[in-house]
Amino acid sequence: MTDQAFAPPLRRRPPRPLHPMRTAMRALRWVTVGLLLAFTLIPLIFMVTTSLKSPIEIRISGSLIPSEGIFWVNWERAFRNVPLPNYLLNSLVVGVLSTAMTLLIALPASYAFVRFRAGGRFLPSWILGTYVAPPIVISVPVFMLMRAVGLVDRPFGLALLHMVANLPVATWMLMDFMRTIPTEIEEAAQMDGSSHCGVLLRIVIPLILPGLVATAIICLILSWNEFLFALILTYSLRSQTFPIGISEFQGEHGLQFGEISAAALTGIVPVYVLALFFQRYLIHGLTRGGVK
Amino acid sequence: MHTLHRRTRREILWMVAPAVLTLIVFSLYPLVYSIAMSLSDSQLARPFRAFVAFKNYTDAVADALFRGSILLTFVYAFGVTAIETALGFGLALLLNRESRASRFARTLGLLPFITPPVAIAAIWRLIYDPSSGMLNHYLVRAGILEQNVAFLGIPGLAMASVMLVDVWQWTPFVFLLSLAVLASLPHEPYEAAAVDGANTWQQFVHITLPLCLPGVLIIAILRLIGAMKVFDLVFMLTSGGPGASTQVASFYIYKTAFQQFKTGYASAMTIILIIVLTILVTLLTVLYRKAQQRYGL
Repeated sequence: MTDQAFAPPLRRRPPRPLHPMRTAMRALRWVTVGLLLAFTLIPLIFMVTTSLKSPIEIRISGSLIPSEGIFWVNWERAFRNVPLPNYLLNSLVVGVLSTAMTLLIALPASYAFVRFRAGGRFLPSWILGTYVAPPIVISVPVFMLMRAVGLVDRPFGLALLHMVANLPVATWMLMDFMRTIPTEIEEAAQMDGSSHCGVLLRIVIPLILPGLVATAIICLILSWNEFLFALILTYSLRSQTFPIGISEFQGEHGLQFGEISAAALTGIVPVYVLALFFQRYLIHGLTRGGVK
Repeated sequence: MHTLHRRTRREILWMVAPAVLTLIVFSLYPLVYSIAMSLSDSQLARPFRAFVAFKNYTDAVADALFRGSILLTFVYAFGVTAIETALGFGLALLLNRESRASRFARTLGLLPFITPPVAIAAIWRLIYDPSSGMLNHYLVRAGILEQNVAFLGIPGLAMASVMLVDVWQWTPFVFLLSLAVLASLPHEPYEAAAVDGANTWQQFVHITLPLCLPGVLIIAILRLIGAMKVFDLVFMLTSGGPGASTQVASFYIYKTAFQQFKTGYASAMTIILIIVLTILVTLLTVLYRKAQQRYGL
């Protein structure tokens, strides 16, 4: 057997002589990629160009490309009329806080599930099962609870709920990464007298670090994008997040599409930068857990 | 040995305790609270005014808007799941080889589903705008439309327009996960088929499709569960309108509880929604087990 036999079936096949069918397939592939590219990118490009059009042009023409030159007035107005930095800061605080809480709870729990079968099948399925429920189903009781303990309109209150929402995702991903570690390594550490928590901290976490990074980034992005809980639980600039800022925009100032585009872009760019920077981890993390 | 065992048990207990506490406070308690509230006459500011037994439930079952909202949620969720799975898996089949095109598509595919839905809905609103929208601009110029159309203002079309944004956002997710399914296929069946002289099409129909079925089914179930939660796109694009033609269950329950303050009634609808979803997920799990038994690796 050569290496060739072990290569994945549909990838890196040896080049074959050109064949009309094959050329057609290649053309089809490029046309598809082109269409996909256009469909994916045009809304994003439109957002950028709209933010740079003059407000008058936005009202009269839906052209993708600005024809009257580039204007920065939408950006100025967006930042002047709406406290964007405030919203973004709240989003960041809620995101970091909720991600930290999620990992703090999900890490030991998923370790106990994978290694000691803690809670049997029931407990892990309960956690993962909560993912099925739409957030709206807990919103009334949770609103009452948060109001009773004074956590309405507080970043911490919203972060708590984002933790609840992200716990199944994080547990699912972390359990999957932990299953890949051979038990021998941990047993060796146990012989040396480490506690289970010690093993988790010193052996397991370093071994699954890429997976942990992927999990953290996904939790961060999910929190950054979350809308329903933020809508219900935040009332003022003290805790309102970026998605709420965007939705308020439309209510208070009429539909100023140029300003909305500028504001929306301000919240999208950090996510894209983060995702492209950690692209490898993200794709690895997403595609490992989901499919098996 | 005995003491060590006890120490271990206590340590494990501490490891799962925070997760269990979270589940009790944010999953069990809300469920019990919702059931209690659904049996009462409750307002947001004045909960539990009176015990009304099953009145909220009989009201909900009789409420055409509520039944409609469940139906619309199913139309939305099954619709987008079917389209996204077909498109995403199809793209993965087409781009399932190391090439510049596929690497580029993979990076690009990461972007839509991490875009804040509220932000992307804001721009789709302008794309669909009846007077200065991009879609009207180009469709009228190309002669496909005679005059501007209010994409979000016509029942039926509004629903399709919201679904298109979901397709924009989630097809790349299906594509990325489908690539992973394809990459995990074993090689032996293909070698055996090649020895037997099967052509590419036969290999695709008799090997690739059946082997991919369980994995693709999981992806579709993930999407279905996600699409059942739809709220932000509807909130931003149509607010449930025109009429109630895009009023999905999440949005109707939100409106009832937080705009009309009828929390008792909203709780009854919530419990019904939970029951419907539980039945759906149970059926899907059975379906997946069957596929796994028949085609699983």
